[in-house]
Amino acid sequence: MYLAWREIKRNRMRFALIALIFILIAWLVFILSGLGNGLQTLAAASFKNMKADYVLLEQGSQASVSKSLISADSVEAVKQLPNVRGASPVGTTMATALKGDANTSKGKLDIALIGVEPGSFLEPAVIEGSGLSEGTPNGIIANKSMKDEGFKLGDTFKLDGTNQSLTIVGFVENETFNHVTSVFVPITEWRTITFSAPGADKGLHDPVNAIMLQGKKIDSAAVSAALANTETVTKAAAIQGLPGYKEESGSITMMMGFLLVISAFMLGVFFYVFTLQKVNQFGVLKAIGAENRFLSKAVVSQVLILSVASILIGVALTYAVSAMLAKSMPFILDVKLVVIYSIILLVIALLSSLASVRSITKIDPLKALGRVE
Amino acid sequence: MTQGLHLNEVSHHYAEGSNRTTALDRVTMSVLPGEFVAVIGPSGSGKSTFLSIAGALLQASEGKVKLNETDLSSASAKDLSRIRLHEVGFIMQSSNLVPYLNVTEQLLIVKKLSGKVTKDDKAFAAQLLGELGLGGKLTQYPDQLSGGEKQRVAIARAFMNNPQVILADEPTASLDTKRAHEVVSLIAKEVKSRRKAAIMVTHDERMLAYCDKVYRMEDGRLSLSESRSALAEAVR
Repeated sequence: MYLAWREIKRNRMRFALIALIFILIAWLVFILSGLGNGLQTLAAASFKNMKADYVLLEQGSQASVSKSLISADSVEAVKQLPNVRGASPVGTTMATALKGDANTSKGKLDIALIGVEPGSFLEPAVIEGSGLSEGTPNGIIANKSMKDEGFKLGDTFKLDGTNQSLTIVGFVENETFNHVTSVFVPITEWRTITFSAPGADKGLHDPVNAIMLQGKKIDSAAVSAALANTETVTKAAAIQGLPGYKEESGSITMMMGFLLVISAFMLGVFFYVFTLQKVNQFGVLKAIGAENRFLSKAVVSQVLILSVASILIGVALTYAVSAMLAKSMPFILDVKLVVIYSIILLVIALLSSLASVRSITKIDPLKALGRVE
Repeated sequence: MTQGLHLNEVSHHYAEGSNRTTALDRVTMSVLPGEFVAVIGPSGSGKSTFLSIAGALLQASEGKVKLNETDLSSASAKDLSRIRLHEVGFIMQSSNLVPYLNVTEQLLIVKKLSGKVTKDDKAFAAQLLGELGLGGKLTQYPDQLSGGEKQRVAIARAFMNNPQVILADEPTASLDTKRAHEVVSLIAKEVKSRRKAAIMVTHDERMLAYCDKVYRMEDGRLSLSESRSALAEAVR
């Protein structure tokens, strides 16, 4: 630390430039993680928020809720199975809400209708107004982002292509699905909207997309055995099965991976060149008795100082950007993710300094004599 | 007990392709505490190899090197680095200071390498620098010092760890006559007052007047040169 800190103080410009590169890398990593997180939330927040552990689907639906259609009659049966603490049906449909005057092109809003049983564990808590109730099948609760689109509590809106109209009785927050605003409707009303066309329900009694199950260690084989024509997957698997979700997060992960690998090489090369420039200095220190350990510690602690400072500034910049971004931008910083990526960046920087440490151990103190005969 | 530095029949060979070059050929030499010895000779004669072996930077191919009863020929790399830190003070050709440490820190780093810097160490560093006429430059950095001042800092650094042996490699190489006399007389003064065994490798025959003995090295062989007084005459 002794050498590391003094050198930084004497060579501010040089270290500031390296720190600048590191800050930009850190910034990019955090921004990308925020965008990725934002997209994933947009795609599946409502699904992730549900306090369920497993999902019961139609056989052959490949863990995808949208490909599955089963009868809600199974709910009572599945509740009797071991380890199942709770079960509740769910249905999802994409729809378009029409604002008061729907003749203008701005008068339409894409929404995801999520049908749940009023009062069940799938219904999110409202932050304004009241929850769903059996008595008012047209009363719905919507994500508060609908307010930004001009909808107010108590407003009634029509659905494009149907004669159904819905009334907002409450607002919830952080509820999006399939990249659009989530609107929770009583499941009976959801059925009316979704299966208005003859034959759409495939002749099932009380059709729903899936039944969400609560309980740890549910044996999916046992559930499938008890209920014909079904399959059970974990909620995590069902999230991966959402249309486009896997591909989307795959792209983000890929970018992130490349970014981290490239930054590892970049930082490694920087530190290495930096060390090469100081070969003579290290030779002198070795000639007067410095051990490899002392010099390696000096280099690693320098990288540590540089990394921690750069990452912290990167985090600060990221939060500054996030405060400036438009609300509609899918950018969500998760503190947990920021901490994880900070640690990854720090580890990468320290690992990349190992090449420098290796070159130090190879420096011959004889070089310090300035001539080798 | 034999104090000081003792080389007995020391030879060193470098492998150059299939050839073997002998840099040192059965060199024997003893330097006692308080003795200031010069080694002169043309370039390529093996002076630097000699200095590297005496300073525990290099291990000889054959022969014994003893520093205060410690046998350097059989020491491990780690031991050598420890011996350099505690027993040897180097004064190098071009002072070779660490560019980002100030004058006082140049000395304290030596203590830092072996652990902690105490109050006594700081006082000792200030005293050394005072003796060498650097009392007013304690917080300056190498790029603010003249060549002679840098070399004097290097001298102080060599004495900082209170070593048994002081080795100087062409300490006057980049200095004018006045500065050169100043620097070598300071080395001689410190060597005498602190009773160190000192060896100076040099080209500069003007400086031999400060030394007790002069050895001449030629093609790896070391021989005692004419007496000091005769040389001193010659210089005058």
